Amino acid sequence: MNRVIRELAALPRDARDTLFLLCVIGLILLPQIENLPWWCTAITAMVLLWRASLSVQGRSLPSKWWRLALLALILGATYATHRTLLGRDAGVTLIVSLLALKTLELRARRDAFVVFFLGFFAMLTNFFYSQSLLTAFTMLLALLGLLTALVNAHMPVGRPPLMQAARMAGWMALAGAPIMLALFLLFPRLAPLWGTPSDAMVGRSGLSNTMRVGTIAELALDDRIAARIKFDGDRAPPQSQLYFRGPVLAQFDGREWTALPSWARGAQWSPNLRVSGEAVRYEVTLEASNRPWLLTLDASQQPPAAPGFEVTGTPDLQWIANRPVTDLVRYRAESYTQFQSGPLKRTGGQLQAYLALPPGTNPRTAALAAEMRADPALANANAQAFVQAALRRLRTGGYSYTLEPGIYGNDTADEFWFDRKEGFCEHIASAFVVLMRNLNVPARIVTGYQGGELNGVDNYWIVRQSDAHAWAEIWQEGIGWTRVDPTGSVAPGRIGQTQRLQPQPGLIAGAFGSMSPTLVQNIRAAWEAVNNGWNQWVLNYTQSRQLNLLKNIGFKAPSLEDLAYVLLYLLVGASLAGAGWTLWERSRHDPWLRLLGRARARLAKAGLQVPDTAPPRQMAQAADAHFGPAAQAVRDWLLKLEAQRYAPATPDSLSTLRAEFRRIAWPTDHPRG
Amino acid sequence: MSPAGALRSRIDSWFLSRRPPSDTLELTQRNVYIVPTRAGWTLGATLLVLLIASINYQLNLGYLLTFLLAGSVAVGMHVCHGTLRGLAMHLVPPDAHYAGAAAVFRVVLHNTRRRVRYGIGMAVRGSGQWAWTDVPAEGTSTVEIAFQPERRGLHPVPPLTAETRFPLGTFRVWTVWQPAAQMLVYPTPEAHPPPLPPGEPLSGPAAMSASLRAHNAGEYDGVRAYRRGDPLKLVVWKKAARAQAAGSEELVSRDTQQTQREELWLDARSTGLADAEARLSRLCAWVLMADRLGVDYGIRVEGRVMKPSQGEAHRRACLEALALC
Repeated sequence: MNRVIRELAALPRDARDTLFLLCVIGLILLPQIENLPWWCTAITAMVLLWRASLSVQGRSLPSKWWRLALLALILGATYATHRTLLGRDAGVTLIVSLLALKTLELRARRDAFVVFFLGFFAMLTNFFYSQSLLTAFTMLLALLGLLTALVNAHMPVGRPPLMQAARMAGWMALAGAPIMLALFLLFPRLAPLWGTPSDAMVGRSGLSNTMRVGTIAELALDDRIAARIKFDGDRAPPQSQLYFRGPVLAQFDGREWTALPSWARGAQWSPNLRVSGEAVRYEVTLEASNRPWLLTLDASQQPPAAPGFEVTGTPDLQWIANRPVTDLVRYRAESYTQFQSGPLKRTGGQLQAYLALPPGTNPRTAALAAEMRADPALANANAQAFVQAALRRLRTGGYSYTLEPGIYGNDTADEFWFDRKEGFCEHIASAFVVLMRNLNVPARIVTGYQGGELNGVDNYWIVRQSDAHAWAEIWQEGIGWTRVDPTGSVAPGRIGQTQRLQPQPGLIAGAFGSMSPTLVQNIRAAWEAVNNGWNQWVLNYTQSRQLNLLKNIGFKAPSLEDLAYVLLYLLVGASLAGAGWTLWERSRHDPWLRLLGRARARLAKAGLQVPDTAPPRQMAQAADAHFGPAAQAVRDWLLKLEAQRYAPATPDSLSTLRAEFRRIAWPTDHPRG
Repeated sequence: MSPAGALRSRIDSWFLSRRPPSDTLELTQRNVYIVPTRAGWTLGATLLVLLIASINYQLNLGYLLTFLLAGSVAVGMHVCHGTLRGLAMHLVPPDAHYAGAAAVFRVVLHNTRRRVRYGIGMAVRGSGQWAWTDVPAEGTSTVEIAFQPERRGLHPVPPLTAETRFPLGTFRVWTVWQPAAQMLVYPTPEAHPPPLPPGEPLSGPAAMSASLRAHNAGEYDGVRAYRRGDPLKLVVWKKAARAQAAGSEELVSRDTQQTQREELWLDARSTGLADAEARLSRLCAWVLMADRLGVDYGIRVEGRVMKPSQGEAHRRACLEALALC
């Protein structure tokens, strides 16, 4: 180890600087790895390592042909992967590869600058995928690293230690931080200048607008946060009431549930929401989902007040924004947990779409429905009775909840009801809806999130992707649509409990968790509170917050132009301060000379004029001649002042002399004789 | 010269005309200039692209990155300007040089600040031959600026320029400085001069006394440059050895009969060259040759006459006469 350090320290300056730059580039690209195609990671790592070994061994750089070949390879592979060279993901792949490739061409100063600038871009591309605290911290380190390398490149003399450049870079970043803060607070947050390429909308998982058997199983393993909810006055409804509504799916092809196309809705255009009970008011901080859905607690009458979005409601009680949520967004909403919706009467064919089933599928479920209808206990039963019968069957029929149900065949409802008798929410909900439709009860699937957990540190409710859920709604004459959650009948623990059915933890996590589960929970709660603070204050600093800031400063009706004005005032103020400082610096003299000047002025006041050019000793002599013994103290002081400046070892500091100057007994003008 | 270059040199001349020449220059706000470099403009464009990306993808962290970088660059601009501002430069009086030979100016840089000033380059304006240095905190540093004097004569020291791009290379901070000192440039010594010309017979009272001295002493020896046909025993080996140690192949012969009555005059007319500068060039080479041999020599050029003598002071006087005529 020591040998390695010694060898690194003995490297020639060129090699050392190159290695440092390569390390910084590695740091920039590290968080990208999971978002890059595998070949891009491989080529980049290979090129960086190659370049490092070249510089350690002091060998010359590869020829132009190597670089051209690699470039062609990268362009070809990028096109093969993304089917385009434009767009966000292809752009990121290209920037990362080119950054690595450019290190093979570090000859002139210009090349180095290209690497630095590509590095800044590469840093920004990290934020496409994550804006977490950890990413921010890593990129801060990387920025300091790049600045250090840049400063180091402009120290042409000798082999300055990297620490010197790092100190200068740190100082620049520190002194630049107030500028950053002012710009961040006041630079007007504009809407996107033009539409972002469509592939910006893929890549992050979340709820989807279709439901295929198995897709929510993946989400159940995903511990990322989907949304944070802060209830007003911390008055949260019971956890079993926390249903957050996502897409409503009513069209089934045997395997996949999709939303009803708008033409199939018939005349039903109004949600016709009827609420009861007390309103729940809360604030949602929604993580980026790349979907236009704004989650609200089921169900809200008024659109959520999301700044920067135009929100419209669907007949299915979902709230849709005019553009996808590509970044953290915060909004307020108001909901009623007790509600019904939809038409009260079955008129025309408007509910036919909620009874449709693909012909020939799930024959055994159809037989089950026929059997139930023939059951004398259920003769003339209404929808509610059928629901209760089905739920009873789920509770008592040996059905169980599992995250690993395996792959289902074509007749998923049949398999669930009769063969496997296990599954998770979407199998259960799907089988339930199929049965209901067979019973001629209009039914549909609602997807969304259920539950959440309270973070005791900051009292935010956290809804994770693992809380994704699917439940059913059935329509009943005279009542309308009501929610039925069949999963609760199979696994009561799934609904309204903090303890989730967890996937088996890994070996290490398991050991850690068994050591002290509460410690782990506390650490996690604290970390999430910090993260939430970061989200609330940094990532969710929006236009409305900017305008609020101006309101707090004292603007009556702030607008974006006011932001620009405040920035301008700050700029003018800073320039004036700079000019004032320059003036002050120009008039500033050596402190020793200033003290001497004060002594000269004091002597003049006492009646003794000494020329401006007189040194302390000459002044002392003049004072001695003028005042005689009365000037003893002054003379001693002046000689000390002289010693302070010129003696090899100075007995008194300038501040001591200054203090003495104030205490000194100055002679008055009584000239001798 | 490109239009931009012409413009820049005009601006520099304007800067120069703003202050009288001086051998010491303290750099202040008033004589330090700053412009963005090409890299600076590129960085500006990069910042713009980063900002647009942040707006388009609504990345608050992107804003933070962009603004932190912009803030650092703004501070870097201040640091860059501060690297030269407050620096005192003092020109060490230059030695005389031969035209066409590599030479240096020495400039002492004084830093009264408590921080090191990094990466200061100095050059003769327009030469592009930069000498880089760091000036330690509250210390001095000496820079040797390379230049090549082109014409002989007494010239003012060419305008010097100091520049720095520290810390980020995004700004160029520079100053132009016209020192007051003058420098003497001797003619270029001819590379392969012919041997020294033969001595001239003494005339007048000097000749009389010399011949008298020769008669009286009998064995008074002078020396002269070796001429083809001189017997080997006439060669002064001691002097020859010394000359060879100094890198010369020339031999010196004992002059028994003639020296007393001849003296070495290096005359512009005896060079046999038509071009005035070429003649001076050869005379310069001869002066150096005669000085190395340690013989008395005098020069006659363009109406200036230096009586035969030798030694360092004489050599300087002769070269000065050649430089200035």
